Amino acid sequence: MSAEPGATPPAPRSPEPQARPRADAKKKKIGFFRRLIRFAAEVADAVTQAVRSLVSHKLRAALTISGVCVGIMAVIIIFMVEAGMQVSFARQLSALGPNTLYVHRWAWGVGGRDWWKLRNRPSVGQFDYRSLVANAKLPIAIAPVANTEAVVMRAELELKNVDVRGTTEAFLEAGGWQLRKGRFVSDFDDELGSDACVIGADLEDAFFKNQDPLGQRLKVGPTTRCTVVGTLVRKGNAFGRSQDGVLVLPLSSFLRSFGAKRGLTIAVVAAAGKVMETEDEVIAVMRAARRLGPDQEDNFSVNRQDKILQGFNQTMMTTNIVGILVGVITAVVAGIGIMNILLVSVKERTREIGIRRALGARRGSILMQFLCESVIVALLGGACGVAMGAGAAALLDLISPVPASIDPAVVTGGVVGSCILGAIFGLWPALSAAFLHPIEALRHE
Amino acid sequence: MALIELDHIGKTYDLGLSQVHALRDIDIAIEAGEFVAIVGQSGSGKSTLMNIVGCLDVPTSGRYRLAGRDVSELSDDELSDVRNLEIGFIFQSFQLLPRASALENVELPLIYRGVSKKERRERAIESLERVSLADRMKHKPTELSGGQRQRVAIARALVTQPSLLLADEPTGNLDSRTGEEIVRLFLDLHEKGNTIVLVTHEPKLAARCPRAVRIVDGLVIADGKGRDVAMANAEAMGADVVAQVIAAEEAAAAAARSRGAGA
Repeated sequence: MSAEPGATPPAPRSPEPQARPRADAKKKKIGFFRRLIRFAAEVADAVTQAVRSLVSHKLRAALTISGVCVGIMAVIIIFMVEAGMQVSFARQLSALGPNTLYVHRWAWGVGGRDWWKLRNRPSVGQFDYRSLVANAKLPIAIAPVANTEAVVMRAELELKNVDVRGTTEAFLEAGGWQLRKGRFVSDFDDELGSDACVIGADLEDAFFKNQDPLGQRLKVGPTTRCTVVGTLVRKGNAFGRSQDGVLVLPLSSFLRSFGAKRGLTIAVVAAAGKVMETEDEVIAVMRAARRLGPDQEDNFSVNRQDKILQGFNQTMMTTNIVGILVGVITAVVAGIGIMNILLVSVKERTREIGIRRALGARRGSILMQFLCESVIVALLGGACGVAMGAGAAALLDLISPVPASIDPAVVTGGVVGSCILGAIFGLWPALSAAFLHPIEALRHE
Repeated sequence: MALIELDHIGKTYDLGLSQVHALRDIDIAIEAGEFVAIVGQSGSGKSTLMNIVGCLDVPTSGRYRLAGRDVSELSDDELSDVRNLEIGFIFQSFQLLPRASALENVELPLIYRGVSKKERRERAIESLERVSLADRMKHKPTELSGGQRQRVAIARALVTQPSLLLADEPTGNLDSRTGEEIVRLFLDLHEKGNTIVLVTHEPKLAARCPRAVRIVDGLVIADGKGRDVAMANAEAMGADVVAQVIAAEEAAAAAARSRGAGA
């Protein structure tokens, strides 16, 4: 229009690509395949830029990363201890046996409020045991168990807090124990009230290092003496406590030494798949033995491991809530750290944003670039936190009674969680970068 | 059909209490292959015009067609694509990414159009060779001289084979000798068929362009041969302009001589 004729295109035009006919320009569009490559290239570029940015500000990056790291570590430790408790609890529980019912005065997992209802119940005693043996047909085995804690001595050696139990032959089957050496206390021992005893691995280690324990004498409590007839295979720890500090006496001998009126727990082993029927039968036999009328409540409890599980799950829920709460708090603190570093990064790179926008970066590209940076920061912190948390948990398990185990779900959760953390807290700074006006960004000093 | 059609373009900045009319009524058409200087004092609106031509900004009134496409009402993403596909920017302050090498800087616009890594590299090298910087590819901008930096920026603008090269005061941050180097590079690119729009306040530079447009207070007041436009305003600008134009002609003659000698 206003162009002068002298100024119009120069005469000699070389066949450069720029000089191609303009009709072609209209068709210039970015196709689907190109978009895919573009996306991959933008991600790769964003990661490179993020790494460069972090490397060039090592201290700043390290501080933010350590913030995330500590936060994630705290949560990881909580969850790993929890997982450890679950594992050790499962171990404990398997010791009880899934098919074993425990007839006892107290109901397991009953909280303080119901205690008043149960305190007037009569103890479970020899009579109940004999009634069950005589009248219950479904159980595979029935073992009465009485227990106390006592000091066990041999010559100069002494072991405190030994779990002393009085029981019969059926106990082996009911309690999930295995014999290592010798024999278990027999029903014969029980009838005779003999001085036979079977010891757990802790006692064997304490008293009979490099010696054959069989036939050796031990002093249990103030007055009782017994002869070792067998040893038990080690069971390991449950709840950070050894289960192997155990000494088993025949029930009659136990009652003679530690008091005949002591309440019992009767372990009833049901056939696999017949736990419910057996429970019903045990309740019926117990009610008959105790002459309870139809309107009277049971004055005993038939406990199963799943009742403990209920109580345990309640405790775990509390731990879970604490864990989640701690997690949320640390996530927010760490997230604010990430947001801060990212805001600084956006500020510093404002001109770069302008340059990129001028060269054709869309808002989405800029958004992704900064999200990449925040996710990388969070991921580095998260990975570091998971590693340190796992290390701390392993150490805790090793040197303290608190059990902990490295749960792959917790590891994955920690890594994924930190990614999400980075994305959430990086969103606002990244959006503010994406919505900068290209011209103002270019002019930024 | 002209490559650039600016049709009654106006741009008003609303500053709350007052309104600033940066551009009033701009009517310019630029054909493919032209080399046009837009001259004006600072505050004349030439930067605003260049931002609009470069699709970094949109006009408040009027219509802007680039390569037959009305860009006045494109979305932000579409404008980004237009910038990437049609325009190569060259800035006064080079605007290179400081942490990236020359090669990476030149590759950058290709990332935003989905060119594969191998092809990106090839095209970036080719483009750097065109500005005779093949031996400085691995250098960071801080390790390059001003002239070399501007040549990297030009290579970056050329690598996408844009319809339009848009240069904003490209010699403003360079000493006169390096500036001359860059001017010759532009003239060379123009000869090879590139369309170049150059924004400058220097009559000396405008005088060497085949066509110049003078903008004052957001209005086109002169449009013609670069030398004529530069000289036309000599009275207003002072005798200095005449000296500048003469200097420019001498430089052009020198450039022609050196090319002749080289050939």
